[in-house]
Amino acid sequence: MKVSVENGSFSYRKGRPVIQNLDFSAGSGDLVAILGPNGAGKTTLLRCITGFLRWSGGRSALDGRDIRSIPTRQFWRRVAYVPQARGVFSSLTAEEMVLLGRTNRIGVFSVPKPADLDRVRALMDKLRIGALAGRKCSELSGGELQMVLIARALAAEPELLILDEPESGLDFRNQLIVLDTMSRLAADGMCCVFNTHYPAHALARAPKSLLLSRGGYLFGETGRVVTEENLEKAFGVKTAIGEVETPGKIYRDIIPLEITDPGGSLSGRKDGPPRAAAVTVICIGAASGGRVGALLREYRRYLTGLTEIPCRESGASVITAAFDAPPDEIVALSHRLGMLPGVSVKTTWAPQNRSESPA
Amino acid sequence: MTGRKEKAPAGALSLPWKIALPLLPLLAALAALCIGRIAVPPADVLRSLWSHLAGEGPLPAQTETVLWKIRLPRILLALLAGAGLSTAGCVFQSLFSNPLATPDTLGVASGASFGAALGLLVGLDLIGVQLVSLLFGLCAVVLTWLAGTGRGRNLNSIVLAGIMIGSLFTALVSLVKFTADTETKLPSITYWLMGSLDSAGYGSLLLGAPPILAGILVLFLLRWRLNVLPLSEDEARASGTNIRALRAAAILCSTAITASCVSMCGQVGWVGLLVPHMCRMKFGSNHLSLLPASVFTGAVFLVAVDTVARSATAAEIPISILTAMLGAPFFIALMRRSEGGRL
Repeated sequence: MKVSVENGSFSYRKGRPVIQNLDFSAGSGDLVAILGPNGAGKTTLLRCITGFLRWSGGRSALDGRDIRSIPTRQFWRRVAYVPQARGVFSSLTAEEMVLLGRTNRIGVFSVPKPADLDRVRALMDKLRIGALAGRKCSELSGGELQMVLIARALAAEPELLILDEPESGLDFRNQLIVLDTMSRLAADGMCCVFNTHYPAHALARAPKSLLLSRGGYLFGETGRVVTEENLEKAFGVKTAIGEVETPGKIYRDIIPLEITDPGGSLSGRKDGPPRAAAVTVICIGAASGGRVGALLREYRRYLTGLTEIPCRESGASVITAAFDAPPDEIVALSHRLGMLPGVSVKTTWAPQNRSESPA
Repeated sequence: MTGRKEKAPAGALSLPWKIALPLLPLLAALAALCIGRIAVPPADVLRSLWSHLAGEGPLPAQTETVLWKIRLPRILLALLAGAGLSTAGCVFQSLFSNPLATPDTLGVASGASFGAALGLLVGLDLIGVQLVSLLFGLCAVVLTWLAGTGRGRNLNSIVLAGIMIGSLFTALVSLVKFTADTETKLPSITYWLMGSLDSAGYGSLLLGAPPILAGILVLFLLRWRLNVLPLSEDEARASGTNIRALRAAAILCSTAITASCVSMCGQVGWVGLLVPHMCRMKFGSNHLSLLPASVFTGAVFLVAVDTVARSATAAEIPISILTAMLGAPFFIALMRRSEGGRL
């Protein structure tokens, strides 16, 4: 499954484009964050991808086929949409709400079968919201409702999941629940595309990001897209991206510092002179080992050495890879490694070459 | 794992209700056949019914006439109109996500009332009045549809257009009353507008029943899809539903039902608001159970109210007065006991 936007442009009024000549694609197992300031067109973009809005120019495609040529029912069996959790005041129960997600697999004049219900119950248990089944949606908390809406979308058994600010307005436990759910779905092969107001969430979860700013955009590896320079250009906010180290990983977080003027073109490349670095990975399980191997292969042209030491007692394996590469490449790699489930990553850098300093 | 045991699809009616709901209107109809100026014991009614299927009736000729020529058509009309109006009300409330929506929201009933008043003014017979009424009811909805839809419009603009068209026809009704002869025409128009089932006859039922039955049948078949109506437009489309077609179907069916009801028995208020809300409080908002419950409860409700209307006092009480007088306090009590008028 591959979803793509080809040369997409959209304007609500003639001559005032919100989105211009945008190209973007994502495939199975991808988790893509769409970032940008208010009014940059994040929701517009999602609504164009799903066909709720019509592109003024360009098109969205599913496996290369224009979505406008795909019959509605067929399209919505492959694609599911999770709206923002606010403003749902239906007093259907959570179970009925999730069952509504099966609607496009049920004939117009028929009703859900017991098999549909079994599927819904299994799904709700899997998402750990089985206990909500009998509660009315109007009485759920924001976090619970968001999970119910995600379950409703998944009930259609889609290949592409589109979420509109799924973690907005939730406390941080519920944000983590939603983010973990998305990570797990992507690891199981779902393609997830989500809008977010939190650049830090993109940095923590999404291997790829799309940063929209008024008039421009940048799509690529999150480590290259979500940088201090790009955030300042897009949002008009000076930020510091800092690192917090735990025994397992190094987490990157973003602290907004002060308001500046937005503007300037976004850029994803900033290759400095090569620098030596050691990336140490500890992973558990064959699946995560395979994913680590696949990622390292992508960067093999910078790889100078690799050791893999299995630890039989604990079942973990320790991989150390030495790189000689532009710092950006290393940062991007360790960032992507860090997002794999069941993987710990740390990167150690060679000392800066100080030969040019006056001392 | 959790305490869920039943295998029935979520929100469907439980078996006892599945049996009780269709049975209740039959029992209500039987009771209504017995009650009246001439009281007939239930056993006699059943005996008469049985022998009618065979041939000659065993009861006195006068009783036979009262039972089968006067009471039965009236009861059938009450069953149909009650079921129809509460179904239409239920669907409109979901369609407009508004607990205050009634079958008249789109101006149908006002249009049909105007048609009937006009028919009475020019002195048509009952069937003629019914036809003209039906015609103007549909006419009102078409006007509402034309005024309220189009580029950039949404459901709210349809509701607004409905209110406008409704008040336009209400004004036209007043105009007809103003011009009507105060001795002969005005009383019959006024009486008709208050709503009454006493004009019921097999001829008028033959004309009025098909739109009601067809409308209810289509809405019943669509009952699962109707759950999509209260969702936001994007969510509805994401469920793979052609939301425009669904809305059009819901409006068309409800309109046919309402126009046909009003053309037969005038404006019977409250049924379309009261009964669906009672059902929502009891059965929840899932149309899988809400819609059948509304159909049958509406039928029972109107048969009961009409029986009281015709037998409580010597002169018949207009049914709208009764539905409001019985309905309002009952509804308020129900609302205070449950959580309020949610959809």
